Amino acid sequence: MEYLLHVLIMICIYAILAQSLNLVIGYTGLLSIAHAAFYGIGAYSAAIMSLKLETPFLLNLVCAGGISSLAGALIGFPSLRVKGDYFVIVTFGFQVIVFGILNNWFFFTGGPMGLPGIPQPVIFGWHISSHIEFLTLAGVLASVVFLISHRIIKSPFGRILQAIREDEVFALAAGKNIAAYKVSVFMVSSAMAAIAGVIYAHYISFVDPTSFTVMESIFIISIVIIGGAGSLWGPVIGAIVLVTLPELLRFIGLPSSIAANIRQILYGGLLVAFMMWRPQGLVGKFRFRLENAKK
Amino acid sequence: MLQLAINILVTASNMLLLAVSFMLIYRAVKFFHFAHGIIFAWGAFFAYMFYKMLNLPIALAIPLAILAAGLSGVLIEIIIYQPMRKKGSTGLVLLLASLGLYTVLQNVISMSFHDSTKSIHSGQISNVQFAGVYITTAQIIALISSVVLVAFVGLFLQKNKFGITLRAVSNSTYLAKISGISVSKTYIVAFAIGSTLASIAGILVAYDVDMTPTMGMSPLMMAVVVMIIGGTNRISGIIIASALLSVLLHIGTWYIGMQWQEAIVFGGLVVFLLFRPKQLLAK
Repeated sequence: MEYLLHVLIMICIYAILAQSLNLVIGYTGLLSIAHAAFYGIGAYSAAIMSLKLETPFLLNLVCAGGISSLAGALIGFPSLRVKGDYFVIVTFGFQVIVFGILNNWFFFTGGPMGLPGIPQPVIFGWHISSHIEFLTLAGVLASVVFLISHRIIKSPFGRILQAIREDEVFALAAGKNIAAYKVSVFMVSSAMAAIAGVIYAHYISFVDPTSFTVMESIFIISIVIIGGAGSLWGPVIGAIVLVTLPELLRFIGLPSSIAANIRQILYGGLLVAFMMWRPQGLVGKFRFRLENAKK
Repeated sequence: MLQLAINILVTASNMLLLAVSFMLIYRAVKFFHFAHGIIFAWGAFFAYMFYKMLNLPIALAIPLAILAAGLSGVLIEIIIYQPMRKKGSTGLVLLLASLGLYTVLQNVISMSFHDSTKSIHSGQISNVQFAGVYITTAQIIALISSVVLVAFVGLFLQKNKFGITLRAVSNSTYLAKISGISVSKTYIVAFAIGSTLASIAGILVAYDVDMTPTMGMSPLMMAVVVMIIGGTNRISGIIIASALLSVLLHIGTWYIGMQWQEAIVFGGLVVFLLFRPKQLLAK
């Protein structure tokens, strides 16, 4: 039972991550390999604050979101000048730099050893300790992120993001301040990724840099793409599929030494297969025509 | 001081070879082929397999490894990218596929060879010492091979029929097709030469230091940075960029520390892209 709840909590966390990345990849048409960095910034902010300052959960959540969205603005600015493949490299660089900081700045992040002993959250006297309570928390936050994304997509703001995806020059010609839109979507998306990080840190009660690598970023991208970029339910379905599939492998009785490798081969292979035969993902409508932004 | 210069030279030559191999492919296909980093690692692991596990003589093992890794690059192009291109996939779709491929192939290495650090050279590493400068034979071999191979690529692009075809395709696929050039064949040639050079670069690095399944990622990213700064149209630009980046890297690690080298490289790239988005030596 606890195992099932654990899987459901992980699905909620990855649904939040994929939903927020979808705003950037699916709706604005910018490919970013830096999402695990924002996830990590959120997790580490929560960990450092609750360990060193003993701040309450909700304050951690707000501050982590704030810090991460500032970092998101850092990535948003280059997107104004650097396009296409080159932008992918810039986000990759950001990911590598953040990983470097987490791994090497011993004083704050504990280096490769990570930060153990993150306390369980208390919200207005409600002490969250059991799996079912964590699932409630993660489920509520995932729904909030989903609803915010829904509001964003249906709003004029969301329509302009999609216009940028379809034809950036056209959106510019229509008098839209593309710079402001791109930077803000990155800030919103990074803040949401930080929420996932905060839940993760408090739930696992331990953070270390290996959870926030480039491979993790590629995993989140796979969720978005396989679920369906540019659709609201796509990331949710992608998270359910990609989190449960490797768990099913456990029941076949794979030795745990290669389980991690098999998991990565699975989602890497799925990413290639989907790009080849179904670039719009499981439920997406858009065939990921990112080239438009480049012309 | 001289020692620092030698170190900078060695780093630059390592970056240069991989950057040139990446550039050959990028010029043709126009997307970032991330799985190239795996070909780099595969070169080293094939060499390890043939030399250490099958105990073949080194004169046979190394060429076999280069051949096998080069061939894998060509197979990736034929099996994965070519069908996708026929369906009209855009560059970023191909890039995503290459990220997936990278993930799969890296884990194939981890599963077949385990994650422990390995090395191809056997026994004591021999050193050469002159005028107070310290350099390993592996580094000398790497330095010479890089220079020779890059010179060869330069000649190839200028004089060889395939080289000229490659440049034509890179300028305009459309016009190349009209002139009766087989674009897909040109891509295969680019992948063959690029992957061969990458596997040589991998073997040289593995021979000098050591090898892990993830060894391809960081050198590949540095090579991409070198290519972006140096530009894709001239080898001379890439040579200058790898020298510049190598200097930056060594000065940076001297002041801040070894563990920050990736951060230094990418910091340099971001600054470069923000202030000088056109390539360094663009015409």
